[in-house]
Amino acid sequence: MIFDSYEAYRAANFTPKVCILGSGPAGTTIARKLGAAGIPVVVLEAGSREFSDESQDFYRGTTVGDFYFDLDITRLRFMGGSSNHWAGWCRVLDKQDFEPKAWVPDTGWPIRRTDIEPYLPEVRDILDLPAFRPDMPISDDIRWVQLIKSPAVRFAEKFGDELDKAKNIAVVLNTCVTELAGDGKRVTGARLWSNGQDAGSFSADYFIICTGGLENSRLLLWSNQRSNGGVVPNATALGRYWMEHPTFEGGNAILADYNAFEVDAVNEAFFSPTLAAMERLQIMNFGIRLIETPYPGVKSLIADLACTAPSMAEWMSYQLSQRLRCAAQLYVAWEQAPLASNQIELSKTDVDHAGAPRIELHWKKTELEHRTLLEGLRLFGTTLIEKNLGRVRIADWISNGQDYPTNDETAGHHHMGGTRMGTDISKSVVDANCKVHGMDNLYVGGSSVFCTSGQCNPTTTITALACRLGDHLSKVVTV
Amino acid sequence: MSFFIKKMSRRAIVQALIALPALSLFRKLPDADASHADPSRADPSHTGASRADPNEIVEVNGWILRRSDLA
Repeated sequence: MIFDSYEAYRAANFTPKVCILGSGPAGTTIARKLGAAGIPVVVLEAGSREFSDESQDFYRGTTVGDFYFDLDITRLRFMGGSSNHWAGWCRVLDKQDFEPKAWVPDTGWPIRRTDIEPYLPEVRDILDLPAFRPDMPISDDIRWVQLIKSPAVRFAEKFGDELDKAKNIAVVLNTCVTELAGDGKRVTGARLWSNGQDAGSFSADYFIICTGGLENSRLLLWSNQRSNGGVVPNATALGRYWMEHPTFEGGNAILADYNAFEVDAVNEAFFSPTLAAMERLQIMNFGIRLIETPYPGVKSLIADLACTAPSMAEWMSYQLSQRLRCAAQLYVAWEQAPLASNQIELSKTDVDHAGAPRIELHWKKTELEHRTLLEGLRLFGTTLIEKNLGRVRIADWISNGQDYPTNDETAGHHHMGGTRMGTDISKSVVDANCKVHGMDNLYVGGSSVFCTSGQCNPTTTITALACRLGDHLSKVVTV
Repeated sequence: MSFFIKKMSRRAIVQALIALPALSLFRKLPDADASHADPSRADPSHTGASRADPNEIVEVNGWILRRSDLA
């Protein structure tokens, strides 16, 4: 069932056991799992069926530190959430991403990759993915990795009819929770905002927060402040350890053989380091995206010439009415070290239309990350030489230790951490089952529970974790 | 010069381009002297191309190269 307002929902006299906030990949997946298990669930979606400026405005905020995107353009607030604009790139976090790393503090998850692997067939069905393929080492340091360019499932489009027909799932549009109330052991209720006004209070046996990698922290920070610590009793880590995937053009490569690597349909290949290389160099995980420029004949010559004699190549390229780039391009996205100082705070001066403080995001890259970028490109370049596959040129600003350019990709729009998973209550917010420490009926879904970010796009792992949480709740919740 | 360029045919440009790699002017890469290489990547005991290991990996102007590439 899908309702366009809280009033319409209330008139239907539906009694849910579980309330899920947000209808993005995590919220929709958990709802479908619970619905299949016969558990009545309500999904509160803040936006409507389509994008609107009014709804999107709730996402405005500020960033302190490094340059970052405007917070209201980096996610979407309507049915299906940010699946409405994701690119569809899919890969599960590496096995090594879950393991603690002695050279980086606060790494390691309380679960292993094997804990989510049983859900990967289900994830493939949800995200319309082909089979996952193992990595292929091309040296002791570098491996070719599969990154699937999927059809980018829009969750509202794919699952809208199913949700509408489901008798034990109610999706309520234009309705959000502005704050949760709690007594330090349980969430006792929620304050609703629907169609531009206060809609009173609401209660359910269980609450699952799936409002995204920024909003999960905002809602819990604000709720905790309003209830004097009654929603997240152990809040030291709340909002902290926030992470992105910094992404920049890192250089170029001249390839000896354009058929040396398996490339995808748009002539791209992806490479990551081995754990041994990361440990030896004391760096984080990274992904190098090699974009081939498979020009034939003369164009290939110009493209390669552009690396060594850019002015001449530019002139030639102009004369031939072409815009040819220097050989293959290398983009690098990498894992940020989890830092408590990278955090989501509540603005002290700015509130949204419902009166909740907006986000003040504190985000800064560190020296370790610059080193990961530089050493990562060196590793890749050395591998190409050793295997006689080509040569790499590292961009000047990286070699020279200059500031990050502000006209580049910057980051992946991947919001991770803030309510991270763990066993240490001073450094985490949820346990291995995504339950908020100390609370009996409050869970968190989505990438805000990530302890570390790995190097790959998060949606596949988000969906796998949502399947796992759905399975867990279907055993915990009694009907 | 501009007159010359305007008069050049597309075919002539392509032929010139194909010939370019053969010209030492465009083949000349940065000096093989190790003092120009990134000291963190090159062996400091090797101070001249004649004594250097041709398989040594050096970093020159951002390029990650074998020393033999510089010959």
